[in-house]
Amino acid sequence: MAAGGGGSCDPLAPAGVPCAFSPHSQAYFALASTDGHLRVWETANNRLHQEYVPSAHLSGTCTCLAWAPARLQAKESPQRKKRKSEAVGMSNQTDLLALGTAVGSILLYSTVKGELHSKLISGGHDNRVNCIQWHQDSGCLYSCSDDKHIVEWNVQTCKVNKWKGDNSSVSSLCISPDGKMLLSAGRTIKLWVLETKEVYRHFTGHATPVSSLMFTTIRPPNESQPFDGITGLYFLSGAVHDRLLNVWQVRSENKEKSAVMSFTVTDEPVYIDLTLSENKEEPVKLAVVCRDGQVHLFEHILNGYCKKPLTSNCTIQIATPGKGKKSTPKPIPILAAGFCSDKMSLLLVYGSWFQPTIERVALNSREPHMCLVRDISNCWAPKVETAITKVRTPVMNSEAKVLVPGIPGHHAAIKPAPPQTEQVESKRKSGGNEVSIEERLGAMDIDTHKKGKEDLQTNSFPVLLTQGLESNDFEMLNKVLQTRNVNLIKKTVLRMPLHTIIPLLQELTKRLQGHPNSAVLMVQWLKCVLTVHASYLSTLPDLVPQLGTLYQLMESRVKTFQKLSHLHGKLILLITQVTASEKTKGATSPGQKAKLVYEEESSEEESDDEIADKDSEDNWDEDEEESESEKDEDVEEEDEDAEGKDEENGEDRDTASEKELNGDSDLDPENESEEE
Amino acid sequence: MVEEENIRVVRCGGSELNFRRAVFSADSKYIFCVSGDFVKVYSTVTEECVHILHGHRNLVTGIQLNPNNHLQLYSCSLDGTIKLWDYIDGILIKTFIVGCKLHALFTLAQAEDSVFVIVNKEKPDIFQLVSVKLPKSSSQEVEAKELSFVLDYINQSPKCIAFGNEGVYVAAVREFYLSVYFFKKKTTSRFTLSSSRNKKHAKNNFTCVACHPTEDCIASGHMDGKIRLWNFYDDKKYTYTCLHWHHDMVMDLAFSVTGTSLLSGGRESVLVEWRDATEKNKEFLPRLGATIEHISVSPAGDLFCTSHSDNKIIIIHRNLEASAVIQGLVKDRSIFTGLMIDPRTKALVLNGKPGHLQFYSLQSDKQLYNLDIIQQEYINDYGLIQIELTKAAFGCFGNWLATVEQRQEKETELELQMKLWMYNKKTQGFILNTKINMPHEDCITALCFCNAEKSEQPTLVTASKDGYFKVWILTDDSDIYKKAVGWTCDFVGSYHKYQATNCCFSEDGSLLAVSFEEIVTIWDSVTWELKCTFCQRAGKIRHLCFGRLTCSKYLLGATENGILCCWNLLSCALEWNAKLNVRVMEPDPNSENIAAISQSSVGSDLFVFKPSEPRPLYIQKGISREKVQWGVFVPRDVPESFTSEAYQWLNRSQFYFLTKSQSLLTFSTKSPEEKLTPTSKQLLAEESLPTTPFYFILGKHRQQQDEKLNETLENELVQLPLTENIPAISELLHTPAHVLPSAAFLCSMFVNSLLLSKETKSAKEIPEDVDMEEEKESEDSDEENDFTEKVQDTSNTGLGEDIIHQLSKSEEKELRKFRKIDYSWIAAL
Repeated sequence: MAAGGGGSCDPLAPAGVPCAFSPHSQAYFALASTDGHLRVWETANNRLHQEYVPSAHLSGTCTCLAWAPARLQAKESPQRKKRKSEAVGMSNQTDLLALGTAVGSILLYSTVKGELHSKLISGGHDNRVNCIQWHQDSGCLYSCSDDKHIVEWNVQTCKVNKWKGDNSSVSSLCISPDGKMLLSAGRTIKLWVLETKEVYRHFTGHATPVSSLMFTTIRPPNESQPFDGITGLYFLSGAVHDRLLNVWQVRSENKEKSAVMSFTVTDEPVYIDLTLSENKEEPVKLAVVCRDGQVHLFEHILNGYCKKPLTSNCTIQIATPGKGKKSTPKPIPILAAGFCSDKMSLLLVYGSWFQPTIERVALNSREPHMCLVRDISNCWAPKVETAITKVRTPVMNSEAKVLVPGIPGHHAAIKPAPPQTEQVESKRKSGGNEVSIEERLGAMDIDTHKKGKEDLQTNSFPVLLTQGLESNDFEMLNKVLQTRNVNLIKKTVLRMPLHTIIPLLQELTKRLQGHPNSAVLMVQWLKCVLTVHASYLSTLPDLVPQLGTLYQLMESRVKTFQKLSHLHGKLILLITQVTASEKTKGATSPGQKAKLVYEEESSEEESDDEIADKDSEDNWDEDEEESESEKDEDVEEEDEDAEGKDEENGEDRDTASEKELNGDSDLDPENESEEE
Repeated sequence: MVEEENIRVVRCGGSELNFRRAVFSADSKYIFCVSGDFVKVYSTVTEECVHILHGHRNLVTGIQLNPNNHLQLYSCSLDGTIKLWDYIDGILIKTFIVGCKLHALFTLAQAEDSVFVIVNKEKPDIFQLVSVKLPKSSSQEVEAKELSFVLDYINQSPKCIAFGNEGVYVAAVREFYLSVYFFKKKTTSRFTLSSSRNKKHAKNNFTCVACHPTEDCIASGHMDGKIRLWNFYDDKKYTYTCLHWHHDMVMDLAFSVTGTSLLSGGRESVLVEWRDATEKNKEFLPRLGATIEHISVSPAGDLFCTSHSDNKIIIIHRNLEASAVIQGLVKDRSIFTGLMIDPRTKALVLNGKPGHLQFYSLQSDKQLYNLDIIQQEYINDYGLIQIELTKAAFGCFGNWLATVEQRQEKETELELQMKLWMYNKKTQGFILNTKINMPHEDCITALCFCNAEKSEQPTLVTASKDGYFKVWILTDDSDIYKKAVGWTCDFVGSYHKYQATNCCFSEDGSLLAVSFEEIVTIWDSVTWELKCTFCQRAGKIRHLCFGRLTCSKYLLGATENGILCCWNLLSCALEWNAKLNVRVMEPDPNSENIAAISQSSVGSDLFVFKPSEPRPLYIQKGISREKVQWGVFVPRDVPESFTSEAYQWLNRSQFYFLTKSQSLLTFSTKSPEEKLTPTSKQLLAEESLPTTPFYFILGKHRQQQDEKLNETLENELVQLPLTENIPAISELLHTPAHVLPSAAFLCSMFVNSLLLSKETKSAKEIPEDVDMEEEKESEDSDEENDFTEKVQDTSNTGLGEDIIHQLSKSEEKELRKFRKIDYSWIAAL
């Protein structure tokens, strides 16, 4: 759409909209769109720098444009002239932009002042201007037109020099690197001597009007013979509707008129940029934007004749991501491509011409095909606001991961400390205890019988909870875990089978990380579990990695008064245990339901806890690292008898539970020191 | 190859734009602002800098248009001179030497040959307003010693002086006094604000003053946010009304050109327009981003502009719509993040607007954009403790950006947040990936990415005062709903509870060095095992970096006690150390070189060295009088090729540094003129204006005439020189008006040259017409110069008398040239 717009009226007009990067650092990109507006974009931040509408933009649309070489100098005083001659390239401010129009006038637009600088009409063209070239040093401007003439404009002295360039319209121009010769092309290519305006060489050219001409080398390939500024140089030409770019060499003898070699691309070239090779070894890098929106990159050391057309080293395409299943990725046309000054990256301009996106892409010569996926859907709306304030807001959406203290990932995960051998042993043991399926079935039968009986007798909460944990049924868990009744919680916890304790704790941890309101309820549960099952937990060999998250969570939640809450928790635990021990030991614990509940999916835990039960004595020293105070041992002994009689710990739930865990699994060196 | 001269320190951007009120040109096309020692001319349309007027040797303190010629600009400076500029061409016309420090400049259309300046006499804080008579003289430099005293004991700031009612009086405010001096009567009236001491009016000191352009009305702004409008009936009798909207001090006031509305601004960063001087009739332009420091109004009345504390100028249309922003390097607040280079855009990145990171293009000396990191409305109020963006780092070739923000109200109440942003190539912007609340218990002191090329997993290390350093890695967070990646903590390390102060990765990413106060620890980045420790007992480590390329076996540390240590990682021993009080230490990413800036009582010195040898490659003393705060090496796009050993370190990278006053400096080998005057070289393209209705009337007429003439002449086969080719006319039209001799002198010559003689058949012999003949040889060529209209020229010829004799050499030569021209053919009339 964008590409075809420019030449829709004339089948032989070149495709694409007139556009150009500013010289040197390529800070700006000027684009004259088909609606007659000239827009200048900043390449670094993709911002519309300015917009200019020529007064006659509808009748005389812009057909070509060219940036003036970085600020031409004023006539220097002799004193200044003594200084270096390299001052030309020093000033990096680019200012003037020459626009050729369809009616033959040429506008000089000052991008610094944002206004029309001059209008060159008199003595110029009376038909469409096809190409404009600035002379690199002299401040002259060359233009060619459909009226078969080439005009030299001296913008400093306002002198106009016009001569006939061809028998048909002249469509393209190029000035030689030394500034003494001019290439012009309609269908055939001519090389003119600028001083005398005489034809120096003829070249065959193309079958269609030449749309682009460019010198590719500034030095002849063989340095043996003296260089006269032009002989031996290569140049490149592309033409309308021609998929071949030809390379020509200016030879000393006037015989050879055909192309030296050619590059083949997929469609008509729209925009060509290249890096000049400065020595013989350095290849010429060429980027050709085609009408189909692709960029072809060539890298070639120009050295003599080559019959076969060269294909591109790398092709760049851009496409939309194509979200979802419905929409397929659509190609995004590339409008222009320019090499950055480091020659290793490419500035790509793509999208629509009224809101192009400019991106710097690093080149990787290895890949033969690059397809960049870009989402330009949000670029359609004009960004007036950002143009003024220059503020960019990066996207902050809910998909971002949030880490707060206590959430796994905020602190390093606690890696399992116990040595491998231990685990292997225990596995072997469990392996040794393997029972036949028959036995298992028998055991299961017994188990279900027992369960059924209990269900009749007691509250169904423990059963529900167990089932919920096993099946991970959210509804079921919610029903149980959302009670506020402290007594009920206690009883339930007391009746929970041991193998479900760890899953229960993990479920609680998960819920604690959630909404604070639900966390309040979970704290009750957590406290109960930890007081009731402290002894069981302390026997587990891999307790530390399993409950590390819970520990970190609690650590971070009570950080404000850390020491106070530690002390408080310890005291409460002591008091509970003391009161519990004073109570009768008569009541039997109904928690131990089955000695043999074997379920395949949770076998590890099962075996673990069985083993732990059996040889808790042996495991003891390994599980609980170094310093377990005698107090903890007390806790275990008494805890087995504690039957949920600890009513006094109503308040300060989290601190209490916090402490209990500390007692169980001393992870924190600080705590150790405190206790001692 | 570039010719080598001495390496000099050059200012390369970020100069202050908001020091004084900006001034509009008469046609509102340009805006002028003082910027250090220069005056900058910006286009109001494109925001581009058109010229930099340089010539002052010290801070420029005031600029004003020449009231008698609005194409000229006066500027005054602390170097004691007033300079007159032609701002369109950027030429210095004249220098008036006053001698004492000038603090502000005012001009008045009524006082034709004098300007007013603020000077300080004797005691340092007593300032006087004096008028300076500018003598008429032809020479470029003129002594202007004729000072006449106007007002004493005034405020230094030009905001506290205003001329009113077409120059009948001048009003000055200071503390609680308003003094008005009437020029005609030569009397001063002084008004004191009543009850300035009691509590109710505790903060009603004056801050600024503005005068109505045509009436006896003075507006004054006050500390408490009130604006008082004083109306005078007599010398002593006055009334005042109060306008109150600002809740904080009124920073500046300005009347519109016609005087119908009053503009005010302050810390609220809202521009308030009071219409008809009534309280209820007001309009607002809010959210201007930072405190309004100055307001100015264009003489044409169509534009306003506000200068802001964050170093920007906003140009605002008459209907209160911002139309352009001229933004320098934001330098409102202190720089915490240091200088970084965005690997993607090659822009310099540092703290910008509050809560933003600014991306600044070093090539074009222009701000690219501000990236809003904190994303919270900034409340402009005095004494609020804001969230500060304290650390930032780019990782993985610009694909990741880590930022740390912090707010600390009291010692114990620290709010910390770390954000990790991913660059999304599809949308070409940053997207928040992970937000970490309280990544550490205490302030984060250092942040670094592992930038090794082969590292498969992005790794980030944060070091904190809480004694830990944390290693964060990017992990796969995908679940059944979405594919995602997120950062998680992989390792937490500490060393004897010392505060972690610095961290850095070696070039290949295999080692991590973390300094804990005086001790440097080296960790293996695969297993996170502590490999070894270095301790020199020479004070806390301030900077830490690994050597690069061939010097990658060295680790450098600079301590607070002024010792620079270099350890060899292979032998685990101290290689060398040097006594150097290092403030900034930066490795060059492209070479082995390391730049260190040391601070002494005299100034800052630069040392460039390789870690492998303690002898520095290059030393430059006294690079800055101020403390250097940050530095960075910026890789060059195109490497230079300095051959001399001392400059080789500048071949592949350029070193930039930021001083305490936040000016950005760099090193250059170019000669001063080239570096400083790129903009003064301009295109001398002929300016031919687009056609106007005026042109059609005149132009058609002329064309017809020409055609007639041509017809007649063709019949006679004689070609007359076209009027445009007569040198006298072109010289007259193309020479700037201010350098032309008097109109009387030129008039006769001009008129003569316009006359057509009937006997010019021998016109071809006119010597200056050589090129005409040349062109006749080619049939197709014809030459016609554009018709140029120079309206200004004719309007300004009256001024020519003032400056007859001050012609530059080249212009003199030109004049001499056309004196020599043979006008004999005219005589033949």
